[in-house]
Amino acid sequence: MFGQGLIKGLQITWKEFWAKKFTVQYPEEQHPVPERFHGKFVLDVDKCIACGLCANACPNKVITIEKQKVGKKQYMTGYIMNIQYCLFCGLCVESCNKDALHYSKDFNMNQYFYRDIPLVLVKREAPAEPEEEEQPAAKAEARPKAKPQAKAEKPAEPAANSEVAAGKVPGKEGE
Amino acid sequence: MLENLFVGIADWLRSLLGGLGTPVEINEAIVMLVKLVAILVFILINALWLVYMERKVAAYMQARIGPNRVGPKGLLQTTADIGKLISKEIVIPGKADKVVFLLAPVLIFVPTLMVFAVIPFGKNMAAIDMNIGVFYLLAIASLSTLFFWMGGWASNSKYSLIGSMRVVAQMVSYELPLVLGLLGVIMIAGSLKMSDIIAAQEHTWFIFTQPIAFLIYFTAAVAETNRCPFDLVEGESEIIAGPYTEYGGMAFAMFFLAEYANIMVICAMATIMFLGGWHAPFGLDFIPSWVWFFLKMYALIFVVMQLRWTYPRIRVDQLMGFSWKVLVPLALANIFITGIGMKIYQAIGW
Amino acid sequence: MLRTQEYFLNFGPQHPSTHGVFQIILTLDGERIVKAEPVCGYLHRGIEKLAESRTYTQVIPYTDRMDYLAAMLQNLGYVQAVEKLMGIEVPERAEYLRIISGELSRLASHLLATGVYALDIGGFTGFLLCFRERERVMDLLEELTGSRMTLSYARIGGVADDAPEGWLDKVKKLMDDMPGYIDEYNGLITGNEIFQARTKFVGQLTPETAINYSLSGPVLRASGVNYDLRKVRPYGIYDRFDFEVPLGENGDCFDRFYCRVREMQQSVRIIQQAIEQIKEVDGPVIAKVPKVLKPPKSDVYHEIESAKGIIGYYVVSDGSNKPYRVHVRRPSFINLGYLDEMLRGYLIADVVAILGSIDIVLGEVDC
Repeated sequence: MFGQGLIKGLQITWKEFWAKKFTVQYPEEQHPVPERFHGKFVLDVDKCIACGLCANACPNKVITIEKQKVGKKQYMTGYIMNIQYCLFCGLCVESCNKDALHYSKDFNMNQYFYRDIPLVLVKREAPAEPEEEEQPAAKAEARPKAKPQAKAEKPAEPAANSEVAAGKVPGKEGE
Repeated sequence: MLENLFVGIADWLRSLLGGLGTPVEINEAIVMLVKLVAILVFILINALWLVYMERKVAAYMQARIGPNRVGPKGLLQTTADIGKLISKEIVIPGKADKVVFLLAPVLIFVPTLMVFAVIPFGKNMAAIDMNIGVFYLLAIASLSTLFFWMGGWASNSKYSLIGSMRVVAQMVSYELPLVLGLLGVIMIAGSLKMSDIIAAQEHTWFIFTQPIAFLIYFTAAVAETNRCPFDLVEGESEIIAGPYTEYGGMAFAMFFLAEYANIMVICAMATIMFLGGWHAPFGLDFIPSWVWFFLKMYALIFVVMQLRWTYPRIRVDQLMGFSWKVLVPLALANIFITGIGMKIYQAIGW
Repeated sequence: MLRTQEYFLNFGPQHPSTHGVFQIILTLDGERIVKAEPVCGYLHRGIEKLAESRTYTQVIPYTDRMDYLAAMLQNLGYVQAVEKLMGIEVPERAEYLRIISGELSRLASHLLATGVYALDIGGFTGFLLCFRERERVMDLLEELTGSRMTLSYARIGGVADDAPEGWLDKVKKLMDDMPGYIDEYNGLITGNEIFQARTKFVGQLTPETAINYSLSGPVLRASGVNYDLRKVRPYGIYDRFDFEVPLGENGDCFDRFYCRVREMQQSVRIIQQAIEQIKEVDGPVIAKVPKVLKPPKSDVYHEIESAKGIIGYYVVSDGSNKPYRVHVRRPSFINLGYLDEMLRGYLIADVVAILGSIDIVLGEVDC
């Protein structure tokens, strides 16, 4: 009979009217972020050997690794991701042999200024003497920090640069 | 006390003015003005509330909760929206007819507001109880077609033009079943005066004696206000926003609010003509008559909203076909049957 | 004598129902369409060219960006093409995970197509109710792969990672709920008389024209042609599952829409069977493949049944670690080919109905 479908539709919307709502009220409630979420990158500086496999695996040339030869070893002075070009495909994380590069659950990577977009995971100066090589890492461990990537050592940097170095939003500096 | 709240205010005003010693005519004019301004304010606030209600109803039917940020439960959302829209520039398209373009959104409210003058919101609560009230309402309400057309034509845009052509075609063809649907009621009531029609429904609402007329009226009225499933005029997925495509800012908001004011008109009309106006059902007289009126009106508005959020849009040729091939013959048949029925009742002297 | 004139109407790219950035230049006589000229390319990113300067593995994330609504199926087509080229055996468990995630992708894509079609016709509620379930599907995919839409889950020789703990149970639960949801869509959208009046016998396609224009996917099957690659030429392990191929009768918009709805039911069946079967399969999820892939100098064409139709990858290798050429046969693009003839003689409102029923995704059309 004509009209049956029309009434059925009204029944469904009427039922939905009283049904439980599906949406999540974002800032107050948050949807659980799964374990494997492709969020902000985290680099375990101690594990990283600056081999450059991740930079090679990246389809978009997002990762730039700066390294300097200190004594016999390669010393990483910078690990910068131009996150605006990142596809979040996970090839870099997979390519890491030392299990140093990870995703975190932090999906909030927006920045107010374009210059803040590159994700600076490491920015430090190479130690001048080969024997002092171990010191910065030890210092970083001793200091309790909220963010793992903030472990990056920044001895004699100008103030503005150090904010970028920590990979932080300028406003959050106080945390 | 509550029952005569608004009538009491009017009487108090009248006696207050009477004490001033001014001529009675001037006093009456002032009271009338106050009444009209009160209705005006009421309608505009109600239109805002209806926008909010629409969004909430839509949201609840779509498994979400709708506006909930501005004000308690999001109640101030539409106010904030209007604030935003007022602050926006009204962009006038390059080759638009400037005067007509700007006049249309201003005039769009005029027929709607004029119509409210005759609607009785409760016992003795019509601003003007005209003896041709229904006729006046229908005549004035059909004027709004003109302003949609003005807006669409003056925009000088193809989408607007198609939209406004649809408005004219749709409104003119649905005017007919609308009027014919109401005719059955008018025949039984024997009057065009709203208060007489309501008084005739004291025992039986006309929805029970004229169910087909109610369906015809309601369908045609939904089409008349360009609501889904007859919202071809705006037809978002087809012609973007129809006549309003080129409008921005408050000019757009005027069209938008007029739509809700129109819904109020048709639902108030349906309440008066079919649902017994301000008569309380089941003898629940202790609730004031105007509360009943608004309860009925809002129930109908809810139905209109539910229709919108349930049904897809009908196509333009089907729309015309539905009006001329289904609604008009049905309405004519209804009038015919009503006439015969009335004669039979008169013959048996019931 | 009334003199009338035809006029042009730019339908899109800024239009709410062109499914992205797509333009149709309509020649109209009143509201009736005389001629329709589709213009695509607003979302062209040169993926085929980009692939030439990437290694074989690095192309995978780019395939996501074509049909971003069913990314896993895009991955799968490419990966299987390269596997065919190199002769790699894929572990059993990886095959099952590919099937499950692929069918979930198809489900997500069809849910979106169903919902958006309801929106095109004017029913907003159907749209959001479909999105509610799509959200659940995407949550599951997110849990499996880490991304919601651009999954990049398939790898050459397997998949990126095994299913997390308890994931399969969650999928099973959704699959149990799914038939109820589909009934709801049928009640709200399919069964609605207005919807049927809008879509039935609109934009009809005969089986012959559908074949002649090389259409594929639900668009082809709605015309009554029983051609589903999963059945006709099973790739992967599709021969192990019991499912039907829904067919239409009239080849109109309604059939195309309803084919998708019924295909969702079949996807649910496939996933349920796959979940049952994967429990007995254990082992690695990725085959032993060298870090640097250097396929022999040859070329390969492989096609699979994507959500929109047959997606084919033509990969040419010159022996180096980068493909010499990657060409993609994009179903959305080819299905659009018949748009002009399909639209002629219909009204503006039907443009939306017909375009929506083809279910294009502009990322794939423009590639």
